[in-house]
Amino acid sequence: MEIKGSILGEKLTEKQRLLDVLNGKDTDRPPVICPGGMMNAAVTEVVEGMKKNHNCDIDAMVEAAIKVHEITGFENYGVPFCMTIESEPFHVEVDLGSKLVEPRITKYNEDILNHLDEIKLEHSKRAITVLEAISRLKNNEIPVIGNITGPMSVVTSVIEPTDYYKMMRKDKVKAMKFLDIVTDYLIRFSMEMIENGADLIAMSDPSATGEILGKKNFEEFMIPMYKKISEAVHEKGVKIIIHICGKSQSILESLNDSGADSLSFDSAVGIRQAKEVLRAPIMGNVSTQLLDQGMKEKVKLCTEIVMKNGTSIVSPACGLAMSTPIENLKAMTDTVKNKG
Amino acid sequence: MTKKELFEEIKNNLIEMEEDVVEELCKKSLEMDIPAKETIQEGLIAGMEVVGQLYEEEEYFLPEVLICSDAMNIGIDVLKPHLEGDVSSDKIRAVIGVVEGDTHDIGKNLVKIMLEAGGIEVHDLGRDVALDEFIHKAKEIEAHFIIMSTLMTTTMEGMKVVIEKLKAEGMRDSVKVAIGGGPISQRFATEIGADLYTKDANEAVRKIKEIHEAA
Repeated sequence: MEIKGSILGEKLTEKQRLLDVLNGKDTDRPPVICPGGMMNAAVTEVVEGMKKNHNCDIDAMVEAAIKVHEITGFENYGVPFCMTIESEPFHVEVDLGSKLVEPRITKYNEDILNHLDEIKLEHSKRAITVLEAISRLKNNEIPVIGNITGPMSVVTSVIEPTDYYKMMRKDKVKAMKFLDIVTDYLIRFSMEMIENGADLIAMSDPSATGEILGKKNFEEFMIPMYKKISEAVHEKGVKIIIHICGKSQSILESLNDSGADSLSFDSAVGIRQAKEVLRAPIMGNVSTQLLDQGMKEKVKLCTEIVMKNGTSIVSPACGLAMSTPIENLKAMTDTVKNKG
Repeated sequence: MTKKELFEEIKNNLIEMEEDVVEELCKKSLEMDIPAKETIQEGLIAGMEVVGQLYEEEEYFLPEVLICSDAMNIGIDVLKPHLEGDVSSDKIRAVIGVVEGDTHDIGKNLVKIMLEAGGIEVHDLGRDVALDEFIHKAKEIEAHFIIMSTLMTTTMEGMKVVIEKLKAEGMRDSVKVAIGGGPISQRFATEIGADLYTKDANEAVRKIKEIHEAA
Protein backbone atom coordinates (compact mmCIF):
# COMPACT_ATOMS: atom_id res chain seq x y z
CA MET A 1 0.00 0.00 0.00
CA GLU A 2 2.66 2.51 0.94
CA ILE A 3 5.11 2.15 -1.91
CA LYS A 4 4.02 4.93 -4.23
CA GLY A 5 6.35 7.88 -4.22
CA SER A 6 9.36 6.05 -2.85
CA ILE A 7 12.09 4.19 -4.66
CA LEU A 8 11.84 0.54 -5.61
CA GLY A 9 9.06 -0.47 -3.28
CA GLU A 10 10.89 0.67 -0.20
CA LYS A 11 8.34 1.57 2.47
CA LEU A 12 7.75 5.31 2.81
CA THR A 13 8.38 6.25 6.42
CA GLU A 14 6.18 8.70 8.27
CA LYS A 15 9.09 11.08 8.41
CA GLN A 16 9.80 10.86 4.69
CA ARG A 17 6.15 11.35 3.76
CA LEU A 18 5.85 14.49 5.86
CA LEU A 19 9.12 15.95 4.60
CA ASP A 20 8.16 15.11 1.01
CA VAL A 21 4.92 17.04 1.36
CA LEU A 22 6.77 20.01 2.82
CA ASN A 23 9.21 19.85 -0.07
CA GLY A 24 6.35 19.96 -2.54
CA LYS A 25 6.71 16.35 -3.70
CA ASP A 26 3.83 13.98 -4.48
CA THR A 27 3.14 11.26 -1.94
CA ASP A 28 0.85 8.23 -1.72
CA ARG A 29 -1.47 10.04 0.72
CA PRO A 30 -1.35 13.02 3.07
CA PRO A 31 0.35 12.50 6.43
CA VAL A 32 -1.87 12.86 9.51
CA ILE A 33 -0.19 14.69 12.37
CA CYS A 34 -0.82 16.63 15.56
CA PRO A 35 2.34 18.72 15.91
CA GLY A 36 2.42 19.40 19.66
CA GLY A 37 2.70 22.69 21.54
CA MET A 38 -0.66 24.42 21.56
CA MET A 39 -1.90 21.77 19.15
CA ASN A 40 -1.01 18.64 21.08
CA ALA A 41 -2.75 15.30 21.51
CA ALA A 42 -1.68 14.53 25.07
CA VAL A 43 -5.36 14.37 26.02
CA THR A 44 -6.62 13.05 29.35
CA GLU A 45 -7.09 9.50 28.14
CA VAL A 46 -3.50 9.40 26.89
CA VAL A 47 -1.79 10.73 30.02
CA GLU A 48 -4.05 9.66 32.88
CA GLY A 49 -2.17 6.45 33.62
CA MET A 50 1.17 8.22 33.83
CA LYS A 51 2.89 8.84 37.15
CA LYS A 52 4.46 12.23 36.49
CA ASN A 53 3.50 15.52 34.82
CA HIS A 54 4.47 15.36 31.15
CA ASN A 55 4.77 19.15 31.11
CA CYS A 56 7.89 19.20 33.24
CA ASP A 57 9.31 15.72 33.88
CA ILE A 58 11.70 14.55 31.18
CA ASP A 59 10.73 10.87 31.29
CA ALA A 60 7.04 11.71 31.29
CA MET A 61 7.49 14.16 28.43
CA VAL A 62 9.19 11.54 26.25
CA GLU A 63 6.69 8.89 27.29
CA ALA A 64 3.70 11.13 26.48
CA ALA A 65 5.08 11.94 23.02
CA ILE A 66 5.53 8.25 22.27
CA LYS A 67 2.12 7.34 23.69
CA VAL A 68 0.40 9.95 21.51
CA HIS A 69 1.99 8.35 18.46
CA GLU A 70 1.11 4.82 19.51
CA ILE A 71 -2.38 5.33 20.87
CA THR A 72 -3.88 8.01 18.64
CA GLY A 73 -2.13 7.09 15.40
CA PHE A 74 -0.77 10.58 14.70
CA GLU A 75 2.35 10.22 12.57
CA ASN A 76 4.77 12.30 14.56
CA TYR A 77 6.40 12.93 17.91
CA GLY A 78 6.00 16.45 19.23
CA VAL A 79 7.04 18.38 22.34
CA PRO A 80 6.27 20.31 24.48
CA PHE A 81 2.53 20.11 25.32
CA CYS A 82 1.79 23.68 26.31
CA MET A 83 2.46 27.26 25.32
CA THR A 84 4.01 28.66 28.47
CA ILE A 85 7.66 27.55 28.25
CA GLU A 86 8.75 30.41 25.99
CA SER A 87 7.43 32.96 28.49
CA GLU A 88 9.35 31.60 31.48
CA PRO A 89 12.65 33.33 30.66
CA PHE A 90 10.75 36.63 30.94
CA HIS A 91 10.02 35.88 34.60
CA VAL A 92 6.29 35.37 34.51
CA GLU A 93 4.64 33.05 37.00
CA VAL A 94 3.38 29.78 35.59
CA ASP A 95 1.01 27.29 37.16
CA LEU A 96 2.30 23.99 35.83
CA GLY A 97 -1.11 22.43 36.24
CA SER A 98 -1.14 18.70 36.51
CA LYS A 99 -1.00 16.02 33.96
CA LEU A 100 -4.71 16.61 33.39
CA VAL A 101 -4.76 20.43 33.43
CA GLU A 102 -2.69 22.43 30.98
CA PRO A 103 -0.09 24.83 32.37
CA ARG A 104 -1.08 28.49 32.35
CA ILE A 105 0.41 31.90 33.08
CA THR A 106 -0.80 33.19 36.44
CA LYS A 107 1.20 36.41 36.78
CA TYR A 108 2.50 38.78 34.13
CA ASN A 109 5.75 40.71 34.35
CA GLU A 110 4.91 44.25 33.22
CA ASP A 111 8.18 45.48 34.70
CA ILE A 112 10.05 43.86 31.83
CA LEU A 113 9.15 46.87 29.67
CA ASN A 114 11.48 49.03 31.79
CA HIS A 115 14.42 46.74 31.16
CA LEU A 116 14.23 45.96 27.46
CA ASP A 117 17.75 47.24 26.88
CA GLU A 118 19.50 45.13 29.46
CA ILE A 119 17.43 42.00 29.08
CA LYS A 120 19.36 38.73 29.41
CA LEU A 121 17.47 35.60 28.62
CA GLU A 122 18.29 32.21 30.06
CA HIS A 123 16.47 29.02 29.15
CA SER A 124 14.07 27.86 31.82
CA LYS A 125 14.48 24.42 33.29
CA ARG A 126 11.58 23.22 31.21
CA ALA A 127 13.09 24.57 27.97
CA ILE A 128 16.13 22.41 28.66
CA THR A 129 13.83 19.47 29.37
CA VAL A 130 12.23 19.99 25.96
CA LEU A 131 15.61 20.04 24.23
CA GLU A 132 16.62 16.84 25.98
CA ALA A 133 13.29 15.19 25.13
CA ILE A 134 13.86 15.99 21.47
CA SER A 135 17.29 14.39 21.49
CA ARG A 136 15.85 11.28 23.13
CA LEU A 137 12.98 11.06 20.64
CA LYS A 138 15.21 11.49 17.59
CA ASN A 139 14.94 8.53 15.19
CA ASN A 140 14.91 7.61 11.52
CA GLU A 141 11.26 6.81 10.93
CA ILE A 142 8.99 9.08 12.92
CA PRO A 143 9.31 12.82 12.47
CA VAL A 144 10.12 14.76 15.64
CA ILE A 145 8.47 18.19 15.73
CA GLY A 146 9.86 20.99 17.87
CA ASN A 147 7.04 23.35 18.82
CA ILE A 148 7.28 27.02 19.59
CA THR A 149 4.65 29.55 20.59
CA GLY A 150 4.47 32.48 18.18
CA PRO A 151 5.87 35.91 19.11
CA MET A 152 2.53 37.69 19.62
CA SER A 153 1.27 34.92 21.87
CA VAL A 154 4.46 35.05 23.96
CA VAL A 155 4.40 38.84 24.24
CA THR A 156 0.76 38.72 25.38
CA SER A 157 1.67 36.01 27.88
CA VAL A 158 4.43 38.12 29.41
CA ILE A 159 2.43 41.32 29.81
CA GLU A 160 -1.30 42.06 29.99
CA PRO A 161 -2.57 41.54 26.40
CA THR A 162 -4.69 44.70 26.36
CA ASP A 163 -1.63 46.74 27.37
CA TYR A 164 0.34 45.32 24.50
CA TYR A 165 -2.41 45.78 21.93
CA LYS A 166 -2.65 49.42 22.97
CA MET A 167 1.11 49.82 22.85
CA MET A 168 1.02 48.74 19.22
CA ARG A 169 -0.75 52.02 18.47
CA LYS A 170 0.64 54.28 21.13
CA ASP A 171 4.30 53.34 21.29
CA LYS A 172 5.07 51.45 18.14
CA VAL A 173 8.83 51.57 18.61
CA LYS A 174 8.69 49.95 22.02
CA ALA A 175 6.06 47.42 20.94
CA MET A 176 8.20 46.41 18.00
CA LYS A 177 11.34 46.20 20.11
CA PHE A 178 9.70 43.86 22.62
CA LEU A 179 8.32 41.70 19.83
CA ASP A 180 11.77 41.57 18.29
CA ILE A 181 13.42 40.46 21.54
CA VAL A 182 10.84 37.70 21.93
CA THR A 183 11.31 36.66 18.30
CA ASP A 184 15.09 36.41 18.75
CA TYR A 185 14.57 34.17 21.75
CA LEU A 186 12.19 31.97 19.76
CA ILE A 187 14.77 31.69 17.00
CA ARG A 188 17.41 30.67 19.51
CA PHE A 189 15.08 28.07 21.02
CA SER A 190 14.16 26.61 17.64
CA MET A 191 17.79 26.50 16.52
CA GLU A 192 18.62 24.43 19.59
CA MET A 193 15.62 22.20 18.94
CA ILE A 194 16.99 21.53 15.45
CA GLU A 195 20.50 20.90 16.80
CA ASN A 196 19.01 18.39 19.21
CA GLY A 197 17.29 16.50 16.43
CA ALA A 198 13.97 18.17 15.58
CA ASP A 199 13.03 17.32 11.99
CA LEU A 200 10.84 20.35 11.64
CA ILE A 201 9.48 23.30 13.60
CA ALA A 202 5.82 24.09 14.17
CA MET A 203 4.78 27.49 15.46
CA SER A 204 1.31 28.46 16.72
CA ASP A 205 0.41 32.08 17.26
CA PRO A 206 -3.19 32.17 18.50
CA SER A 207 -3.01 35.77 19.74
CA ALA A 208 -2.13 37.09 16.29
CA THR A 209 -5.43 36.47 14.58
CA GLY A 210 -6.80 38.67 11.85
CA GLU A 211 -9.81 39.31 14.05
CA ILE A 212 -7.73 40.82 16.83
CA LEU A 213 -5.11 42.68 14.83
CA GLY A 214 -6.56 43.33 11.39
CA LYS A 215 -4.64 43.03 8.15
CA LYS A 216 -2.59 46.21 8.49
CA ASN A 217 -1.22 45.47 11.96
CA PHE A 218 -0.65 41.86 11.00
CA GLU A 219 1.46 42.85 8.03
CA GLU A 220 3.38 45.47 9.91
CA PHE A 221 4.10 43.58 13.13
CA MET A 222 3.79 39.87 12.50
CA ILE A 223 4.97 39.16 8.96
CA PRO A 224 8.52 40.51 9.54
CA MET A 225 8.81 38.34 12.67
CA TYR A 226 7.53 35.21 10.95
CA LYS A 227 9.87 35.84 8.05
CA LYS A 228 12.83 36.15 10.37
CA ILE A 229 11.97 32.90 12.16
CA SER A 230 11.32 31.02 8.90
CA GLU A 231 14.60 32.22 7.40
CA ALA A 232 16.59 31.11 10.42
CA VAL A 233 14.93 27.68 10.36
CA HIS A 234 15.54 27.38 6.61
CA GLU A 235 19.19 28.21 7.04
CA LYS A 236 19.45 25.04 9.07
CA GLY A 237 17.90 23.14 6.17
CA VAL A 238 14.68 22.54 8.12
CA LYS A 239 11.00 23.28 7.33
CA ILE A 240 8.49 25.24 9.36
CA ILE A 241 4.70 25.06 9.74
CA ILE A 242 2.81 28.12 10.99
CA HIS A 243 -0.63 27.91 12.61
CA ILE A 244 -2.94 30.89 13.03
CA CYS A 245 -6.21 30.75 14.97
CA GLY A 246 -9.60 32.28 14.40
CA LYS A 247 -11.17 33.69 11.29
CA SER A 248 -8.05 34.41 9.24
CA GLN A 249 -9.65 35.33 5.93
CA SER A 250 -8.43 38.92 6.11
CA ILE A 251 -4.78 37.92 6.52
CA LEU A 252 -4.58 34.88 4.22
CA GLU A 253 -2.84 36.71 1.44
CA SER A 254 -0.31 38.32 3.76
CA LEU A 255 0.72 34.87 4.96
CA ASN A 256 2.27 34.19 1.56
CA ASP A 257 5.14 36.36 2.78
CA SER A 258 5.59 34.53 6.10
CA GLY A 259 8.13 32.06 4.74
CA ALA A 260 6.15 29.10 6.13
CA ASP A 261 6.45 25.79 4.28
CA SER A 262 2.91 24.90 5.32
CA LEU A 263 0.11 26.96 6.83
CA SER A 264 -2.57 25.80 9.22
CA PHE A 265 -5.89 27.40 10.15
CA ASP A 266 -8.82 26.97 12.41
CA SER A 267 -11.87 25.29 10.88
CA ALA A 268 -13.32 28.79 10.45
CA VAL A 269 -11.20 28.95 7.28
CA GLY A 270 -12.13 26.61 4.44
CA ILE A 271 -9.37 24.55 2.84
CA ARG A 272 -10.56 25.33 -0.68
CA GLN A 273 -10.71 29.02 0.06
CA ALA A 274 -7.21 28.98 1.58
CA LYS A 275 -5.80 27.03 -1.35
CA GLU A 276 -7.00 29.65 -3.79
CA VAL A 277 -4.92 32.32 -2.09
CA LEU A 278 -1.91 30.53 -0.62
CA ARG A 279 1.14 29.11 -2.31
CA ALA A 280 2.32 26.87 0.53
CA PRO A 281 0.62 23.52 1.18
CA ILE A 282 -2.21 23.66 3.69
CA MET A 283 -2.28 21.74 6.95
CA GLY A 284 -5.62 21.12 8.62
CA ASN A 285 -8.31 21.27 9.67
CA VAL A 286 -10.60 18.74 11.30
CA SER A 287 -12.79 20.66 13.74
CA THR A 288 -11.51 20.33 17.31
CA GLN A 289 -14.99 20.79 18.68
CA LEU A 290 -16.18 17.87 16.59
CA LEU A 291 -13.20 15.81 17.76
CA ASP A 292 -14.11 16.57 21.35
CA GLN A 293 -17.89 16.28 21.26
CA GLY A 294 -18.89 14.58 18.00
CA MET A 295 -19.60 10.97 17.11
CA LYS A 296 -16.79 9.08 15.45
CA GLU A 297 -18.78 8.59 12.23
CA LYS A 298 -18.95 12.36 11.89
CA VAL A 299 -15.21 12.67 12.55
CA LYS A 300 -14.61 10.17 9.77
CA LEU A 301 -16.83 12.13 7.41
CA CYS A 302 -15.21 15.45 8.29
CA THR A 303 -11.73 13.94 7.75
CA GLU A 304 -12.79 12.68 4.33
CA ILE A 305 -14.14 16.10 3.38
CA VAL A 306 -10.95 17.84 4.47
CA MET A 307 -8.94 15.41 2.31
CA LYS A 308 -11.28 15.83 -0.63
CA ASN A 309 -10.92 19.58 -0.37
CA GLY A 310 -7.21 19.16 -0.87
CA THR A 311 -5.43 19.52 2.45
CA SER A 312 -1.79 18.47 2.14
CA ILE A 313 -1.36 17.46 5.78
CA VAL A 314 -4.36 16.29 7.81
CA SER A 315 -4.42 17.63 11.36
CA PRO A 316 -6.80 18.97 14.00
CA ALA A 317 -7.92 22.54 13.29
CA CYS A 318 -6.66 23.98 16.57
CA GLY A 319 -5.69 23.02 20.12
CA LEU A 320 -7.45 19.86 21.32
CA ALA A 321 -9.52 19.83 24.48
CA MET A 322 -8.09 17.56 27.18
CA SER A 323 -11.40 15.69 27.16
CA THR A 324 -11.13 14.67 23.49
CA PRO A 325 -11.77 10.89 23.30
CA ILE A 326 -9.02 8.72 21.78
CA GLU A 327 -11.72 6.95 19.83
CA ASN A 328 -12.32 10.08 17.78
CA LEU A 329 -8.63 10.78 17.20
CA LYS A 330 -8.20 7.20 16.06
CA ALA A 331 -11.21 7.56 13.73
CA MET A 332 -9.46 10.54 12.17
CA THR A 333 -6.03 8.93 11.73
CA ASP A 334 -7.48 5.62 10.52
CA THR A 335 -9.55 7.39 7.89
CA VAL A 336 -6.44 9.03 6.45
CA LYS A 337 -4.39 5.83 6.55
CA ASN A 338 -7.13 3.76 4.91
CA LYS A 339 -7.29 6.19 2.04
CA GLY A 340 -3.67 5.43 1.16
CA MET B 1 -18.86 76.49 20.99
CA THR B 2 -22.43 75.31 21.37
CA LYS B 3 -23.36 72.28 23.42
CA LYS B 4 -24.06 70.32 20.26
CA GLU B 5 -20.67 71.20 18.79
CA LEU B 6 -18.94 70.18 21.98
CA PHE B 7 -20.64 66.76 21.98
CA GLU B 8 -19.62 66.34 18.36
CA GLU B 9 -16.00 67.24 19.24
CA ILE B 10 -15.94 64.77 22.13
CA LYS B 11 -17.38 62.06 19.93
CA ASN B 12 -14.91 62.64 17.11
CA ASN B 13 -11.87 62.86 19.37
CA LEU B 14 -12.89 59.68 21.13
CA ILE B 15 -13.16 57.92 17.77
CA GLU B 16 -9.77 59.38 16.80
CA MET B 17 -8.28 57.99 20.05
CA GLU B 18 -7.27 61.46 21.33
CA GLU B 19 -7.54 60.70 25.05
CA ASP B 20 -6.07 64.00 26.22
CA VAL B 21 -8.40 66.06 24.05
CA VAL B 22 -11.40 64.08 25.27
CA GLU B 23 -10.35 64.80 28.84
CA GLU B 24 -10.00 68.53 28.15
CA LEU B 25 -13.35 68.68 26.38
CA CYS B 26 -15.11 66.93 29.24
CA LYS B 27 -13.64 69.49 31.66
CA LYS B 28 -14.87 72.18 29.34
CA SER B 29 -18.37 70.72 29.39
CA LEU B 30 -18.39 71.23 33.14
CA GLU B 31 -17.27 74.85 32.76
CA MET B 32 -20.17 75.28 30.35
CA ASP B 33 -22.51 73.88 33.02
CA ILE B 34 -23.67 71.05 30.82
CA PRO B 35 -25.12 68.22 32.92
CA ALA B 36 -22.56 65.42 33.23
CA LYS B 37 -25.09 62.78 32.34
CA GLU B 38 -25.82 64.46 29.03
CA THR B 39 -22.14 64.70 28.09
CA ILE B 40 -21.62 61.02 28.90
CA GLN B 41 -24.61 60.02 26.81
CA GLU B 42 -24.33 62.37 23.83
CA GLY B 43 -20.54 62.61 23.66
CA LEU B 44 -18.76 59.60 25.14
CA ILE B 45 -21.29 56.83 24.65
CA ALA B 46 -22.34 58.14 21.25
CA GLY B 47 -18.65 57.98 20.26
CA MET B 48 -18.25 54.42 21.51
CA GLU B 49 -21.29 53.40 19.50
CA VAL B 50 -19.51 54.51 16.36
CA VAL B 51 -16.38 52.64 17.51
CA GLY B 52 -18.53 49.53 17.88
CA GLN B 53 -19.77 49.96 14.33
CA LEU B 54 -16.24 50.49 13.02
CA TYR B 55 -15.24 47.27 14.79
CA GLU B 56 -18.11 45.37 13.23
CA GLU B 57 -17.19 46.75 9.82
CA GLU B 58 -13.55 45.68 10.39
CA GLU B 59 -12.28 49.24 10.13
CA TYR B 60 -11.13 49.11 13.74
CA PHE B 61 -9.55 46.16 15.50
CA LEU B 62 -8.78 45.38 19.10
CA PRO B 63 -5.93 47.90 19.61
CA GLU B 64 -8.13 50.77 18.41
CA VAL B 65 -11.19 49.67 20.40
CA LEU B 66 -9.12 49.41 23.59
CA ILE B 67 -7.70 52.91 23.25
CA CYS B 68 -11.12 54.42 22.45
CA SER B 69 -12.48 52.70 25.52
CA ASP B 70 -9.70 54.23 27.61
CA ALA B 71 -10.65 57.63 26.24
CA MET B 72 -14.24 57.02 27.25
CA ASN B 73 -13.23 56.01 30.77
CA ILE B 74 -10.99 59.05 31.19
CA GLY B 75 -13.96 61.21 30.23
CA ILE B 76 -16.25 59.38 32.61
CA ASP B 77 -13.73 59.86 35.43
CA VAL B 78 -13.86 63.62 34.86
CA LEU B 79 -17.66 63.73 34.76
CA LYS B 80 -18.59 61.14 37.39
CA PRO B 81 -18.19 63.40 40.47
CA HIS B 82 -20.65 65.81 38.86
CA LEU B 83 -23.43 63.35 38.17
CA GLU B 84 -26.58 64.61 39.85
CA GLY B 85 -28.70 62.34 41.98
CA ASP B 86 -28.40 58.60 42.20
CA VAL B 87 -28.33 57.80 38.53
CA SER B 88 -26.84 54.38 39.02
CA SER B 89 -29.94 52.87 40.63
CA ASP B 90 -31.79 52.47 37.36
CA LYS B 91 -28.80 51.01 35.57
CA ILE B 92 -28.49 47.38 34.58
CA ARG B 93 -25.88 45.82 36.86
CA ALA B 94 -23.77 42.92 35.64
CA VAL B 95 -21.00 40.74 37.03
CA ILE B 96 -18.54 39.50 34.42
CA GLY B 97 -15.60 37.09 34.49
CA VAL B 98 -13.70 34.26 32.85
CA VAL B 99 -14.46 31.02 34.67
CA GLU B 100 -11.92 29.20 36.81
CA GLY B 101 -9.23 27.30 34.92
CA ASP B 102 -9.06 29.72 32.02
CA THR B 103 -6.96 32.85 31.66
CA HIS B 104 -7.99 33.99 28.17
CA ASP B 105 -9.75 37.28 28.69
CA ILE B 106 -9.58 39.27 25.46
CA GLY B 107 -13.16 38.34 24.53
CA LYS B 108 -14.40 39.10 28.03
CA ASN B 109 -12.68 42.49 28.02
CA LEU B 110 -14.26 43.39 24.73
CA VAL B 111 -17.73 42.48 26.01
CA LYS B 112 -17.07 44.53 29.13
CA ILE B 113 -16.08 47.58 27.07
CA MET B 114 -19.16 47.34 24.89
CA LEU B 115 -21.45 46.82 27.89
CA GLU B 116 -20.01 49.88 29.61
CA ALA B 117 -20.35 51.85 26.42
CA GLY B 118 -23.95 50.70 26.38
CA GLY B 119 -24.49 52.29 29.79
CA ILE B 120 -24.45 49.05 31.76
CA GLU B 121 -22.70 48.96 35.14
CA VAL B 122 -20.12 46.19 34.93
CA HIS B 123 -18.29 44.58 37.83
CA ASP B 124 -15.31 42.77 36.40
CA LEU B 125 -13.97 39.81 38.38
CA GLY B 126 -11.14 39.22 35.90
CA ARG B 127 -9.97 35.84 34.73
CA ASP B 128 -9.60 32.43 36.32
CA VAL B 129 -12.50 33.36 38.65
CA ALA B 130 -13.53 30.96 41.41
CA LEU B 131 -17.13 29.92 40.81
CA ASP B 132 -18.36 31.06 44.24
CA GLU B 133 -16.98 34.51 43.52
CA PHE B 134 -19.64 35.05 40.83
CA ILE B 135 -22.37 34.31 43.38
CA HIS B 136 -20.84 36.49 46.12
CA LYS B 137 -20.43 39.49 43.87
CA ALA B 138 -23.89 39.11 42.34
CA LYS B 139 -25.37 39.05 45.83
CA GLU B 140 -23.32 42.03 46.96
CA ILE B 141 -24.28 44.37 44.12
CA GLU B 142 -27.75 42.89 43.53
CA ALA B 143 -26.78 42.07 39.97
CA HIS B 144 -29.29 41.62 37.18
CA PHE B 145 -26.86 39.56 35.13
CA ILE B 146 -23.96 37.17 35.57
CA ILE B 147 -21.88 37.00 32.41
CA MET B 148 -19.34 34.21 32.06
CA SER B 149 -16.89 33.37 29.30
CA THR B 150 -14.34 30.70 28.55
CA LEU B 151 -12.20 29.74 25.60
CA MET B 152 -11.51 26.26 26.85
CA THR B 153 -13.80 23.27 26.64
CA THR B 154 -12.37 22.00 29.93
CA THR B 155 -13.84 24.88 31.88
CA MET B 156 -17.30 24.98 30.31
CA GLU B 157 -18.80 22.81 33.04
CA GLY B 158 -18.01 25.54 35.56
CA MET B 159 -20.78 27.62 34.04
CA LYS B 160 -23.30 24.94 34.81
CA VAL B 161 -22.05 24.80 38.40
CA VAL B 162 -22.64 28.55 38.80
CA ILE B 163 -26.23 28.14 37.61
CA GLU B 164 -26.75 25.29 40.10
CA LYS B 165 -25.31 27.45 42.87
CA LEU B 166 -27.66 30.31 41.98
CA LYS B 167 -30.57 27.89 42.31
CA ALA B 168 -29.31 26.64 45.66
CA GLU B 169 -29.06 30.23 46.91
CA GLY B 170 -32.59 30.99 45.73
CA MET B 171 -31.24 33.67 43.38
CA ARG B 172 -31.97 32.10 40.04
CA ASP B 173 -35.14 34.12 39.43
CA SER B 174 -33.54 37.48 40.03
CA VAL B 175 -30.24 36.91 38.17
CA LYS B 176 -30.09 36.18 34.45
CA VAL B 177 -27.10 34.24 33.15
CA ALA B 178 -25.35 35.06 29.89
CA ILE B 179 -22.46 33.00 28.52
CA GLY B 180 -20.04 33.19 25.60
CA GLY B 181 -16.60 32.21 24.29
CA GLY B 182 -15.02 30.06 21.59
CA PRO B 183 -16.39 26.60 22.42
CA ILE B 184 -19.78 27.83 23.71
CA SER B 185 -22.86 27.34 21.55
CA GLN B 186 -26.57 28.04 21.81
CA ARG B 187 -27.01 24.33 22.29
CA PHE B 188 -24.72 24.29 25.31
CA ALA B 189 -26.45 27.37 26.74
CA THR B 190 -29.84 25.70 26.43
CA GLU B 191 -28.50 22.48 27.90
CA ILE B 192 -27.20 24.11 31.09
CA GLY B 193 -30.17 26.47 31.36
CA ALA B 194 -28.42 29.78 30.68
CA ASP B 195 -30.68 32.67 29.65
CA LEU B 196 -28.50 33.99 26.90
CA TYR B 197 -25.73 33.05 24.52
CA THR B 198 -24.25 35.57 22.11
CA LYS B 199 -21.47 35.23 19.64
CA ASP B 200 -20.05 38.74 19.87
CA ALA B 201 -19.83 41.79 22.09
CA ASN B 202 -22.27 44.05 20.28
CA GLU B 203 -24.94 41.38 20.17
CA ALA B 204 -24.45 40.83 23.90
CA VAL B 205 -25.26 44.47 24.66
CA ARG B 206 -28.41 44.44 22.51
CA LYS B 207 -29.72 41.14 23.88
CA ILE B 208 -28.98 41.98 27.51
CA LYS B 209 -30.97 45.19 27.19
CA GLU B 210 -33.83 43.34 25.50
CA ILE B 211 -33.98 40.68 28.19
CA HIS B 212 -33.81 43.30 30.95
CA GLU B 213 -36.63 45.34 29.46
CA ALA B 214 -38.78 42.24 28.98
CA ALA B 215 -38.28 41.18 32.61
